[in-house]
Amino acid sequence: MANELHVAFRVGAADYAVPASQVLHLESFDTATPIPGTPSYVAGLVQVRGRLIPVIDLRARFGLPAIPRTIDHRIVIVQSGARVTALLVDSARDVVKLDDATFARPPEMLDGGGGFVKAVATVAKKLFLLVDVPRVIGEELGHG
Amino acid sequence: MSERVDLREFVGGFVAEADELVAAANASLLEIETGNDSQQPRPRAVRDLFRALHTIKGLAAMIGVEPIVEIAHALETAVRIADKGGGRFTSPSVQVAIKAVRAIAERVRAVADDKAPAAVPSGLLDAIANADATPDPPAIPPPMSATWDTRLSASERQQVFQALRGGGHVYGLVFQPSAELAADSINISTVRTKLAEVGELIKVIPRSLAPAGRGVVFDILIASDASPAKLAELAAMPVAEVSTIELPVERDVTRVDMSAVNEELPEPDSAPLAGRSLVRVELSRLDDLQEQLSLLVASRFRLERELTAMTESGLDVRRLREITDLQSRQLRGLRRAILAARLIRVTEVLDPLSLLVRSLVRPGVKEVKLEVDARDAELDKAVADRLLPAIIHLIRNAIDHAIEPIDERIAKGKPRAGILRVTCSETSTNQVELVIADDGRGIDRAAVARRSGRTVESDDDLLEVITTPGFSTRSTATETSGRGLGMDIVRRIAVDQLGGQLFVSTTPDVGTAFTLRVPVTIAIMDVFSFSCGAQSFVVPVSAIEEIFELDAAARVTPGGASGVTLLERRGRAMPVVSLGVVLAIDNGASANKALVVRRNGEPVAFAVDRMLGRQEVVVRPIDDPLAHVPGVSGATDLGDGRPTLVLDLGELTGKIARRERRV
Repeated sequence: MANELHVAFRVGAADYAVPASQVLHLESFDTATPIPGTPSYVAGLVQVRGRLIPVIDLRARFGLPAIPRTIDHRIVIVQSGARVTALLVDSARDVVKLDDATFARPPEMLDGGGGFVKAVATVAKKLFLLVDVPRVIGEELGHG
Repeated sequence: MSERVDLREFVGGFVAEADELVAAANASLLEIETGNDSQQPRPRAVRDLFRALHTIKGLAAMIGVEPIVEIAHALETAVRIADKGGGRFTSPSVQVAIKAVRAIAERVRAVADDKAPAAVPSGLLDAIANADATPDPPAIPPPMSATWDTRLSASERQQVFQALRGGGHVYGLVFQPSAELAADSINISTVRTKLAEVGELIKVIPRSLAPAGRGVVFDILIASDASPAKLAELAAMPVAEVSTIELPVERDVTRVDMSAVNEELPEPDSAPLAGRSLVRVELSRLDDLQEQLSLLVASRFRLERELTAMTESGLDVRRLREITDLQSRQLRGLRRAILAARLIRVTEVLDPLSLLVRSLVRPGVKEVKLEVDARDAELDKAVADRLLPAIIHLIRNAIDHAIEPIDERIAKGKPRAGILRVTCSETSTNQVELVIADDGRGIDRAAVARRSGRTVESDDDLLEVITTPGFSTRSTATETSGRGLGMDIVRRIAVDQLGGQLFVSTTPDVGTAFTLRVPVTIAIMDVFSFSCGAQSFVVPVSAIEEIFELDAAARVTPGGASGVTLLERRGRAMPVVSLGVVLAIDNGASANKALVVRRNGEPVAFAVDRMLGRQEVVVRPIDDPLAHVPGVSGATDLGDGRPTLVLDLGELTGKIARRERRV
């Protein structure tokens, strides 16, 4: 597990990361079909390679204010168990190697994305917040 | 009924088709009558009459015109008895039948004029039932040939018998389709047409060759004055294999057993035969069957819920449980049976490809040999229809760009003619894999990379680039990349539309193979599409009772209700729900169409902005629980590459009711 590849992305003023092994694709984001009656952080439904995938707006999920859509917006399509969901992020450019020896528990008082960050990693003095994907996608909703 | 959009569309089609069928039935009756005058039974006319009545009955049942169904059914039964009896239909019966067909015609006109068709006159059905269709002991022609005897209906045997007795000849032919023949545009339908010109085709039956999968041959029975040599030539078979059917030794004629003539009798054409028997069914009827099944499944769920509630309240429902468990198994069986009925052999889909290939090659310049191997693979007709354009596209690309001209192939040491292999096999019980492989020049990765400005290392990268809309390698300097033209269409069909997978593998100068994996079946739904705010939605046509123009002024808004107004409709107050408000899209002010659904038997109207159209779409379920909300049953692609939600308005009414109760 040491030095695992992660996909890094930006939401608000922080850098986040998810293990590359859980990322199926990275796609640019145009629009999603809104689904009435879903939680406010569900941006809608997209069709990626023939698959219908719900998009989770991480800004909304993390309680950050919405920003106008830019060409940098990306969706990170992640697999968690049997579920495939898309995370809408402000931008995503890098793949980083994170050494799990540098993982630390997030400070209790972590602001923004509180509860959705399971660890903090450091690479060359830069902080990456490891996203707790099952939590973000509301695993309690899942049937499996 | 005038405002029921779905019915109205259907009525036009019904009237047009019923008119034709009535005319056909009258023509058959006339021929039967002429035959009666000259003491010559007309078994073929009897069968035509039967078919016309049967179709009228089916059509009338679909749009719910009971009187026509009743008359057609009664008459059909009488005609069926006549058919069983070798096609004898006496003059008094013909008179009754003419009256009955006229009664049908009158009711078709009533439907056309948007009037309620008159009920069936009480005497008519009795007259039909009592018309003695078989006063004479029906003659069952004795057996004439071991190959044919068990495969012919009584009336067909009568036809053979008549032809032979009249001094004619009857021959048994065998047509074996092959790729070579198909390449010369010879197939069963061209053979049929040519044979019909020189004689009377009595029967054409496909027969599977043993062992299974070796293909199909067609046994053809024809009454003709043409020479066996001529017939053999037309059927592309050796003359030595033409069999001559002899007039059999007369036996005592026996009376047909009338007890065998009952409701369960299939129509003559679909009677079990020694070979593979076929019946043509409109796909929409199978869709209808499937829809009925899903309604049954839905009511089955309700039963289950009630049972659970009863169990919870301490009642002993074990016996009922046993029955519902049995029902579950039966429903699964029914579902399998319906699916099986929708499947067609992939070979049937691929056979016409040889013609396409023929039209694309240039003899002497570029030659291509098509090899098709679909074994026994089967596909839902709906999937096959959608898949075919993708297959055609890939074949065209392979011939145009991948397979080299003859001189280039010879220079490379390849066989003169390029080989294009199309294979299809079942990879699992619900998936089919189709491979289209050529032995051409392969896709030039470097050229693709240069053109796209992206790195193209893996086959996946390559596929990604060549299936990007608008990508083409055609205009590059090197002619050697040669593919990728419009490949996005292939991906849209296989992946986006059918929910399948697409792969490519290519090796320079060895060839390229595209693999399409698609589900054997898909859910096709006839839907209305409409807009509400900036968003489009679809609803199944079957769920909509009617659609009407919404007159905003006629709406009454009761105090306190959330977005629900009332509207006078045929003397009753109908609730009108603003879809925009329910879905929190807008305030519903721009709505001017109402879609009526039923909730607990009561009509409820949903106000929407604009109707966009009606179409058949592939509906895919939304799996993820995050996107799983009441009122949304799935999503479809209306052609813009974006998901459009399929709404279950009935379920939405439940949601509103719950919300109102909470308030």
